[in-house]
Amino acid sequence: MSFGREIRRYEEQAHRYTISSIKFGVLSPQMIRSMSVVEITNESPRNELDEPMPGGVLDPRLGNPEPNSYCPTCGNDRDHCPGHFGHIDLALPVINVLFAEYIYLILKGVCLNCSHIKIDPKKKQRYIKRAWELRKNLPYMYDLFVKKIVKEASETERCPNCGKENIKIVFEKPHKFFKVTKDGEHIELMPSEIRSVFENIPDEELILYGLYCEAGAQAYGAGRKADCIRPEWFILQALPVPPLTVRPSILHEGGERREDDLTHKLVDIVKVNSKIRKDKTAGSVAMALKNDYDVLQLHVITYFHNELPGIPPATHRGVKRLKTLVQRLSGKEGRFRNNLIGKRVNFSARTVISPDSNLDINEVGVPVDIAKILTVPEVVTPYNIDFLRQLVLNGADIHPGANYIYRQKTKSRHNLRYVTDRSFLANMLEVGDIVERHLMDGDIVLFNRQPSLHRMSMMGHIARILPYRTFRLHLTVCPPYNADFDGDEMNLHVPQNSEAQAEARSLMLVENQIISPRYGAPIIGFTKDYLTSSFLLTRDEKRLDKARLFNLLSIYDEIPKMDMVRNWEKTHSGRLLFSILLPKDFTYSLKSRLEEDVIIKEGVLVKGVIDKRSIGAEQADSVLHRLVREYGNRFGGDFITKFASVLDRYLLSRGFSIGIEDLKLPEEVVEEIKEIEREAHRKVEEVIRQYREGRLELIKGLSPEESLEQKIHEILADARTRAGLKALESLDKDNPLYVMVISGARGTDINVAQLTAMLGQQTIRGERISRGYGKRTLTVFKEGDIGTKARGFIGSNFYRGLNPVEFFFHAISGREGLMDTAVKTQESGYLYRRILYSMEHLQVDHDFTVRTSYGKIVQFVYGEDKVDPARSDHGKPVNVERLVDSISLLYPKGKYAGSKYIDEILSKVKDEIPPSLYEELRTVLMRKRANKEVVREAVRQAVLNYRSSTIDPNTAIGVITAQSIGEPGTQMTLRTFHYAGVKEKNVTIGLPRIIEIVDAKQKPSTPRMTIYLDEEHRYSQEKAEEIANKIKSTKLRDVVLGYSIDLASRRVVFKLDMDALEKVGLTPKDVKRVFSRRYSTELNGDLLAVKPSMKLKEGEETNLDIIVEKLRKAAERFLERHIAGVQGIMRVTVDRVVNEETGEEEWVLYTAGSNLREVLTFEGVDPTRTVTNDIFEIYEVLGIEAARNAIINEIKAVLDEQGLDIDYRHIMLVADLMTREGVIKQMGRYGVVALKESVLAKAAFETTVPVLVKAAVRGETDYLRGPTENIIVGSRVPIGTGSVDVYIRVGSDGGDGKEA
Amino acid sequence: MPSSDNELDEKLKKIILSHRLVPEHRILSKEEAQKVIEKYCGGDKYKLPYIRKSDPIVKALGAKKDDVIMIIRRSPTAGVSVYYRLVIG
Repeated sequence: MSFGREIRRYEEQAHRYTISSIKFGVLSPQMIRSMSVVEITNESPRNELDEPMPGGVLDPRLGNPEPNSYCPTCGNDRDHCPGHFGHIDLALPVINVLFAEYIYLILKGVCLNCSHIKIDPKKKQRYIKRAWELRKNLPYMYDLFVKKIVKEASETERCPNCGKENIKIVFEKPHKFFKVTKDGEHIELMPSEIRSVFENIPDEELILYGLYCEAGAQAYGAGRKADCIRPEWFILQALPVPPLTVRPSILHEGGERREDDLTHKLVDIVKVNSKIRKDKTAGSVAMALKNDYDVLQLHVITYFHNELPGIPPATHRGVKRLKTLVQRLSGKEGRFRNNLIGKRVNFSARTVISPDSNLDINEVGVPVDIAKILTVPEVVTPYNIDFLRQLVLNGADIHPGANYIYRQKTKSRHNLRYVTDRSFLANMLEVGDIVERHLMDGDIVLFNRQPSLHRMSMMGHIARILPYRTFRLHLTVCPPYNADFDGDEMNLHVPQNSEAQAEARSLMLVENQIISPRYGAPIIGFTKDYLTSSFLLTRDEKRLDKARLFNLLSIYDEIPKMDMVRNWEKTHSGRLLFSILLPKDFTYSLKSRLEEDVIIKEGVLVKGVIDKRSIGAEQADSVLHRLVREYGNRFGGDFITKFASVLDRYLLSRGFSIGIEDLKLPEEVVEEIKEIEREAHRKVEEVIRQYREGRLELIKGLSPEESLEQKIHEILADARTRAGLKALESLDKDNPLYVMVISGARGTDINVAQLTAMLGQQTIRGERISRGYGKRTLTVFKEGDIGTKARGFIGSNFYRGLNPVEFFFHAISGREGLMDTAVKTQESGYLYRRILYSMEHLQVDHDFTVRTSYGKIVQFVYGEDKVDPARSDHGKPVNVERLVDSISLLYPKGKYAGSKYIDEILSKVKDEIPPSLYEELRTVLMRKRANKEVVREAVRQAVLNYRSSTIDPNTAIGVITAQSIGEPGTQMTLRTFHYAGVKEKNVTIGLPRIIEIVDAKQKPSTPRMTIYLDEEHRYSQEKAEEIANKIKSTKLRDVVLGYSIDLASRRVVFKLDMDALEKVGLTPKDVKRVFSRRYSTELNGDLLAVKPSMKLKEGEETNLDIIVEKLRKAAERFLERHIAGVQGIMRVTVDRVVNEETGEEEWVLYTAGSNLREVLTFEGVDPTRTVTNDIFEIYEVLGIEAARNAIINEIKAVLDEQGLDIDYRHIMLVADLMTREGVIKQMGRYGVVALKESVLAKAAFETTVPVLVKAAVRGETDYLRGPTENIIVGSRVPIGTGSVDVYIRVGSDGGDGKEA
Repeated sequence: MPSSDNELDEKLKKIILSHRLVPEHRILSKEEAQKVIEKYCGGDKYKLPYIRKSDPIVKALGAKKDDVIMIIRRSPTAGVSVYYRLVIG
């Protein structure tokens, strides 16, 4: 079957191409027609026989042939036909809504008469030149420039070109345009009219509207051939009809057919279109025609976008909204986020996980049933042919078997499941064939648990094929995956080629991920029962009998010398078990959780207990951290595996459990705790009494109510803490609760307090529970009762049990916790996504600069010192103290080398190491009075250590940074405020504050300043307070006792408060001066009269009521007037702090409200240190670099307050990216993401369709250099190992691999 | 007091430049700037980070469009670190 077209089979020319770039543009009607294979004119899609109608929307020429038939256009079968466009010729032109805004922009700038831009021709030439420059170099400023030009053009009186009057245009969203006549009448501009104006716009002027035209570019040396985006194409004359592959019919069971939403919409359009065409030829009534025209316009609008405000959405019989073009692309379920970014894979498996402490930490247990499905392709070589033959013989059903073989000679694939004679195939096997064998012990696989918040969420494991149906993993790898075994499932992927396998082994293997790039310390370590066990094993009193000791020793591969064992049995056999694993030259000391010494000397634990501080996960500077840093990942992994199995076995044999009896405290302790509770009650009653009698001592800056609450909080919190401590102290040293808390295995002293002593205050939003029935929380209380019990204090504990009222309060508080977590995960998830899409395209270049994928520089030296946080020692490249100490042990002899020698040695390496390391080496070597050998060796090793801790070129640093900030987001509090006792210090903290900062919000929700004072004022409280009073914004209200109205002379008279005036250092004259500029004033002693200007309407002059009312309003206005101090500084408190640099105590001011510019120039202020938390203000006053530092400081302050450990370099990169453009850009769609060069990357984030439309209008090209773009088109990402290729040199000097 | 406006500006300028948050800024000579551009951007100066003409520091230094400003930052990781910014309109 042929429709007279040449039939081309795509298969015959099956080349593989790589996409090098994607160009966006707008199709011209000519183009739409020429790429169309059929004009759609037939309004019924199918005939009576249910066959597609020729010329209908389902015309077979559009592609997507039925199974077993061929496409009439291209001759391919269903799998190979790409689909073909058709088109509808519209009877009347119709606006393409997507471009409506751009049409409006052009209409504003263009002269409706002559089609030229309404700008003076000379100026125009200059603008054109500037526009091309900006477009090329500063696209973000080009956008603003276009807006500016169009604004200028729209505001001219007459067109400078033809002299015709400028006509105002009104845009009625989403698609109607009107011109406004002189009498203010609105006349609709019909699409055809707009079209004809647009058609005459000269090519070279297009650039001024933001449109792209290479013809214009040519003149400015930018383009080659004429290639334009013409504005008249924004008005549709022909509509492309997408191929059937895009909108397939769905065949339901029972032969019922359902057409795609787009098909439905197209049918609607064809129907009206033919109706209009008929009407036109018949010469129908204008009204009817106009009606149909409107319907056509609406159908075309909803065909593009079905969720526009003001347009009734197209529906399926009024029920379900149709998903049309825009809806297909945008949102989480849209094409971009669901299909283009979210790819699906083969060779993966998912099942429930369970623990197995007999595995190596690098291993993962894989069920046999899964191993028989997942395969690894292995090329047959002379070395493995026998082995592979055996696998082929085993077939698909016996475990180490194979599922497929690919024979090179015949280029054929054989499924072993359906081959009867496998021995035949096994014998046929030749070198070069490929056997897809089962997954086996020792294969590398990727293991992953969602949510994949950081790179340790997907690590390389060595497969271990095991019986049963779950994935098994070692318990110490739970923290990085954040996994537990309450039903968690995980995914497993099998890399399919040797390059991927090698990468997984060397980069992703668990032991190489022990140190987290977030903070440069181990994230993998001992947790939970391991810590319990280690604590019990190594504490002072522990002795193991011989049998047990040898039993445990037998787990290790090497058994130490017998005399050592004999000795230890007498002294401390538990510590021996730990010491054996240590390297013989390892010396270290630290403090245990009980602040007791832990001393390791030359590989022997001499003193102290090994608890969480020593070997716990997420602990910096622990024994584990030192071991991994100094003896390598392999050693670290091995240490963890071995010690874990001993700890496991020990705890198993010793036994460890907890029961209700363990929570029982001795009678006398219970009595003591009750007394603590009673005392707290008494104290609270006392402060309540004081409050009621109005003699409560107020806390600075707080109202009486707030002060009362604050005090009650303190009393009750203190009571619980003391009760908890009492309880913990009274516990037996073998009490499991005690063991767990002290070792760091589980629980804190608060948990102990709640279990055994008292639950304490229950809160909602950090406040005592106060809602309920009007003036009481529950009806069992008297109205107005604000005592402890009535407001949610729980004196009971979990052991004793709660009474119903307590239980209820506890449930309230508990529910708040649940809601918080739910909200938190959402908020932090979105924050993470924004940061990720803002930074995903950043990588470290070969010159150690950080650049975007398109070469723009963000940092000149990564982290300013090139150091990779993952290779750092808790942020530092070299631990100088430790280095010098350990070298001193090797070279103990010799006298102090002297500062001259140290400087001499150091000067040789000065250019190689960062200044901070240089300084540290210098000071430490001098302080420790190192001898010459130590100096030489320490400097040599420091340089080596520094070199090995530098970051690799092509590291995807943006992603790592985003992960390092995004991952801990869930751990941040949602509680907005922090009560530091003084109100002026209470600032937004936690997640909300971080969001505020990276959002680049113009004003922080709690603006605060920290004002340092000059020499004269900083050392005395009086002087500080003097400044505080002066700096605080004083309103007239603050210095006035009252006012009266002088009706006769129509003035307001204020009685000034002389004391208050003196306090803020003002005289009545000063007050007068404020008003005398604008009003007539009179000062008489402490009476100040001001005459406000009054506008009175006719007939009001005599109405005294109205005049009094007006005067009163004026007086109230005057009272609010700022008369002295610094505007915006609402409250000031004075506090004493210690200067970190000088160690001196000084007085500083904390303010609510901020006004940096004025405070800096205020007399008595130290302008070099005074800061605000308003980053925009800092930018405006102190510039972009100061803003960058402010961003870092503000983020750091939040993280420190939350106790989160994040490497400084991550925060720096965020700040540098946000300030790269010279202004503060938010990490989101209007800021950093909008600056991305890639259209696809922007579209994949948010506002998909507007991004695509803009790209089309601008004629942008996506060069596919960033990661997101490449994921979308399906090629390898040019970042990390994706940006290098591996070559192997074959021949002369053998096969040394070389990267190129 | 209109006469003191300039005075105030001068004073503010001094204060701004001596503030803790503001690192040392220096305008590079044409030759130095060209070297930086060659070294880092292969000639395309727009690859550098930017600073606005309206930035208070740019105004205080009197830098002009297309100047390259060298910034000597105090760095908690490296001690001292150098950054460059191109002045744009």
